[in-house]
Amino acid sequence: MSALDFVVLIGSMLGIAGYGIWRTRGRRSLETYLHGDRKTPWFAIGLSVMATQASAITFLSTPGQGYLGGLSFVQIYFGVPVALIIIAIFFLPIFRRLNVYTAYEFLGKRFDSKTRLLGAALFLLQRGLGAGLTIYAPAIVLTTVFGWPLNLTIICSGLLVIIYTVSGGSDAVTVTQKYQLGIIFAGMVTAFCLVVAKLPTGLTVTDTFALAGGFQKLNAVNFSTSIHERYTFWSGLLGGTFLMLSYFGTDQSQVQRYLSGASLREGRLGLMFNAVCKIPMQFSILLLGVLIFVFYQFEQPPLLFNPVSHQYLEQHNDSGQLQALESDFQKTHTQTREQIESWLAARHHGDETGAQTAFAAAAAAQQQGEAIRAKAEKALAANSGTTANDADYVFVTFILQQLPHGVIGLLVAAFFAAALSSKAAELNALGSSTTIDFYRHIIRRDATDTKCVAASRWFTALWGLVAIGFALCAHLAENLIQAVNILGSIFYGVMLGLFVVAFFVRRVGGTAVFWAALVAQALIFVLYFNLTISYLWYPLIGCAACVVFSLLLQMVLGGGGETDKMEAA
Amino acid sequence: MKRPAETESSSCESEETGLPFFHSWKSVYIFVLGSFVFWVALLVALTKYFS
Repeated sequence: MSALDFVVLIGSMLGIAGYGIWRTRGRRSLETYLHGDRKTPWFAIGLSVMATQASAITFLSTPGQGYLGGLSFVQIYFGVPVALIIIAIFFLPIFRRLNVYTAYEFLGKRFDSKTRLLGAALFLLQRGLGAGLTIYAPAIVLTTVFGWPLNLTIICSGLLVIIYTVSGGSDAVTVTQKYQLGIIFAGMVTAFCLVVAKLPTGLTVTDTFALAGGFQKLNAVNFSTSIHERYTFWSGLLGGTFLMLSYFGTDQSQVQRYLSGASLREGRLGLMFNAVCKIPMQFSILLLGVLIFVFYQFEQPPLLFNPVSHQYLEQHNDSGQLQALESDFQKTHTQTREQIESWLAARHHGDETGAQTAFAAAAAAQQQGEAIRAKAEKALAANSGTTANDADYVFVTFILQQLPHGVIGLLVAAFFAAALSSKAAELNALGSSTTIDFYRHIIRRDATDTKCVAASRWFTALWGLVAIGFALCAHLAENLIQAVNILGSIFYGVMLGLFVVAFFVRRVGGTAVFWAALVAQALIFVLYFNLTISYLWYPLIGCAACVVFSLLLQMVLGGGGETDKMEAA
Repeated sequence: MKRPAETESSSCESEETGLPFFHSWKSVYIFVLGSFVFWVALLVALTKYFS
């Protein structure tokens, strides 16, 4: 990175954080600290919800997923529109009517204290565990590529987000997220335009799509009914709806965003904004990866995008295996490129048979190239016991090798903006839930507003430090990202089950739902260790188990359950 | 500790959306589902046409 890149990166990060602190100075009451001043318009809520969900890994890894696996990952978002409509109709009006600070406060009003604490504890457990990753995941990728010190990057970005989140609370998160998302979109749109500009002249839009489609990169929708396939239309629509319903409806980091709206209308429109924009946004990011794939059919790509993996192979390359693999990889790439050029010429001359023959040869050469890449990954795994994680490095390597200075700084700023925006919302939610559901509910019931704000600041800072500590130790576990993602999907279903029973099954009381949730959670653990189904199905199974067990347990306990306490509240 | 008064009415579905063209929440939800169907159809077409 050049000096210009550093000016763009540091200027934008510090500028946005400083503006957030200045705009939200003097937040004193609990209401304004946790909910903002309740004047947030729908567009700002929509952007805030979007920025909270889209972490840096979304923008770093998703183009890599498009490069390696095509568009099929977009199916995971098919559940978003339905889930957000359900939240807008059922969840949001009740949260606002009861004027709760946290989603789990609602469980206390509807059921009892122990169920509220269970919901809050499930949230703190999974979000707290994942907190470090939001900082660690982009830091490890960027420091690997740019050679920065990992620990210093984690500590600096972690402290920056702690300072403005602790200072301004919920409002600071919303205010900064608007500008951070602006940087992210500016960076991604610039990258998209530059990738298109870098494609060879003479390659039309239909040629590009035909080329990508021929290599199976445009297989966006798969109607397979196999539950073992990770991304299908059905797992996305059914499993994805439950996953998104759990995330947007019961995760405090999201609930806090849309509860900061000036009215019910603002919250609803913010959610609908996301319901409309999420699929096209993810599609565009994946398409960017597909375009990078097309670009690399005409330019020699590296054997492994992860530079550390490549270096490792170089250092442990006693038998000259790496040179042989690289030489073969280069040859197959040259063959692929030549055949694609023949295909293009035949296609433009209307020679269909010639085009088909050339493309078949290009596809065969490309497959050979992929086989060589797989061999290199296998050699790496055999030598080091780790995988290359190449998808995470495709986009950032492309940026560094192909884009001009200034744009590199803008895109790295975009990755950090994404990391800070989702981290800030997480810390804000962790601090709020700890204050409202534990401190004020159990420890200091008589705490004044001022004391609660002070406690919330301390808890936010504490969770921030926990996140930094966790990020600093994250390298000890290679599969941590995957583990925490799976952990989230394991807990989300039962958490959603608690809310579904609260909203829709009025005959069930607190004791029944509390024990049902614990049994359902145990069942999910058993299933997870014994089945090989896609993780997208666990939220659905967990939710269904919690609801069914609640009904059965209520029948055993007898009576019509507890009266709906909400009515009395 | 004082809490602000509850302000939302229970008849929230009848509340005005304040949007041009979409005056009821039902029409907003239909638009959202329509855009979802549009994107799925587009992605299916992309899959079928270019594969």
